[in-house]
Amino acid sequence: MRALGLGVTVLAAIAVGCGGGHAIFNVDVYSFMAPKDDTVPYIVPPLSGVSVASPWQKISLPGAGSSLVDSIVILGTDSIHNASGGPGTIGLQLVMTADTTPGAPRDTALTVVPKPVSGAQTVPDTVRGRLRPGVDTLFTKSTIWAQVIAQGNNSSATALQGKMVLQSLTLTVVLTAKIF
Amino acid sequence: MRTSVVGFGLVALVLGYAAPASAQWVVTDARRVGLGGLSLGRSSGLVRYNPAYRAVPAEADRRGQPKVTIPIPLGIIQFLHDHPHLSHDPAFNPDSSGFNPVLVVNTFLNLPLFLEVKQAPTPTNDVVFGIGRDSLRVNLGQAAQIVPQDQFGISGSSRPLDPGIEIKGVRIGVMGWLHDEVQLQLGDTLLGFLADSQPARPRTTYNVLAHAIVQGGFAPTISYAGRIAGDTASGFYVGGAVHYYLGVGYFRSDGSAGFVTGDSIFTGPNPVTPDGRTLTQYSKPGNALGHGVGGDVGVAWVSGPLELGLGVNDIGATITWSDTRQDSAFYRDSTVAKNGPTVSYSRPVGMHVETQTKLPVTYIANLAYTVGKTVLGADILHTGVGTVVHVGGEQRLGVFAVRGGIARDQRKRLEFGWGGGLRFGGLGLDVGFWTHTNSLSNARAITMATSLSIY
Repeated sequence: MRALGLGVTVLAAIAVGCGGGHAIFNVDVYSFMAPKDDTVPYIVPPLSGVSVASPWQKISLPGAGSSLVDSIVILGTDSIHNASGGPGTIGLQLVMTADTTPGAPRDTALTVVPKPVSGAQTVPDTVRGRLRPGVDTLFTKSTIWAQVIAQGNNSSATALQGKMVLQSLTLTVVLTAKIF
Repeated sequence: MRTSVVGFGLVALVLGYAAPASAQWVVTDARRVGLGGLSLGRSSGLVRYNPAYRAVPAEADRRGQPKVTIPIPLGIIQFLHDHPHLSHDPAFNPDSSGFNPVLVVNTFLNLPLFLEVKQAPTPTNDVVFGIGRDSLRVNLGQAAQIVPQDQFGISGSSRPLDPGIEIKGVRIGVMGWLHDEVQLQLGDTLLGFLADSQPARPRTTYNVLAHAIVQGGFAPTISYAGRIAGDTASGFYVGGAVHYYLGVGYFRSDGSAGFVTGDSIFTGPNPVTPDGRTLTQYSKPGNALGHGVGGDVGVAWVSGPLELGLGVNDIGATITWSDTRQDSAFYRDSTVAKNGPTVSYSRPVGMHVETQTKLPVTYIANLAYTVGKTVLGADILHTGVGTVVHVGGEQRLGVFAVRGGIARDQRKRLEFGWGGGLRFGGLGLDVGFWTHTNSLSNARAITMATSLSIY
């Protein structure tokens, strides 16, 4: 991996070094997820709020060394399949880390505005935005971990339950390549 | 690992663009620069490549050929002004965050002897990588144009020493000879990945094919050059030489280096595995000498203002080495992913094997026409790896001279030269401009050359 990553980074640096351009990495995060891991089932008890997390997903990157990350834009789609209960809200949160061991720092990269749900319904949702600048440095590493969290709030007297299904998730990382 | 990969990349780029540089513009004379690279004097490659020219009398006055040319290195002054503390300059220091490998390569390819009056614009674009669980794709944009599509490298065939004695056109001597060649070519898969934005595939080899040879020795030579018809004003000259090549040593290596992708591009235990293999053949100095016979032929015709010449070198020069050692080497490092042992070996394939090498056939054809104070000329020079064509002319106007020329370089690109000169008695000042595409760019740059000439 290191050899591949270094090769890609050298390539980016030489090519980009020819002018004032950037290296742009379009990372299909969804492709790194195991088929069943794109679904986060939730049950939110009455008059409460809970967060349910998917398993950590390993994302392999070429490794950008000491490159400077200019920006990271995320674009994805998901749908909330509410089975029963509500009204309430279901939101998506993306958490990232370089180390999944307990106690290691994690960073909330993106929080999507919660969507209202009630009864049996399917609510399509779009994940779009810039990642919080604090996670930029993670993308200079060759391996990062990502986790999708379904955040539920239930203001009713019946339990809110269903599942949040991720359908696509792409990160666009714009960086100034620097290999030394 | 990092250093080696970076170094490999830089070397490949340097070699890829050094080929045209080495054959076209190693010029320190502003007159020649102004003529588009055309060389009209006897001190040029004419005598080297055409044995008949040894008998053609030099007519320095006719073409205003100076005795000595001293370059005025304005480019060095400019370079030192731009980089006053080179040893501490971050652009040239790999440990610095300001290190600029492109600037380093460009400086090497275009030694700053003369003033660069127009820098070659370098491609400015974004480079886009597409990354998925099992996919990797890169779009280099305009930068893909500098990915060498064909074989590239450097090559030279020289005769560093040629002492001898001459009696009535017959010359007996011992000539030193040296041939070096490094050729690289991107493999089809790597070329498609870099130049055509093809996605990387699993279980596929991405490599660079390499061929290198260096050989040298000496050659007892008997040659003849003389006029067989006409007089000093108008004559036909022939020349020929027979060399008995004695090879002192040679080294040849053919192989490939790169990596093999695993079952998955970005997942799996071993995404890529460095891979290299080569067959080397060598006969060290001290082993049995190589033997071979070859020859040069040339003709030149001078008729008043017109001069024509054709010379061919190293015809049939095949060297037989009776005591060659052959080794094969293999390297595959699967420890990059901390999984599996390094596999490498170097083992002899054959000892005391007879092998053969060849010297490249080189040729030059030239034409010059002198009338009054006007000189026009052209030449075609093939050095074994590529052909360069020059066409140029000079017009003298009193103490002034104006020059112009055009050249087709080894990359089959047209380059242009123009300039002028001022001569007072035995001293002259010349200025020449030439375009070149030796930089890491497909666009032309312009260099201004200046030199003093003593007549």
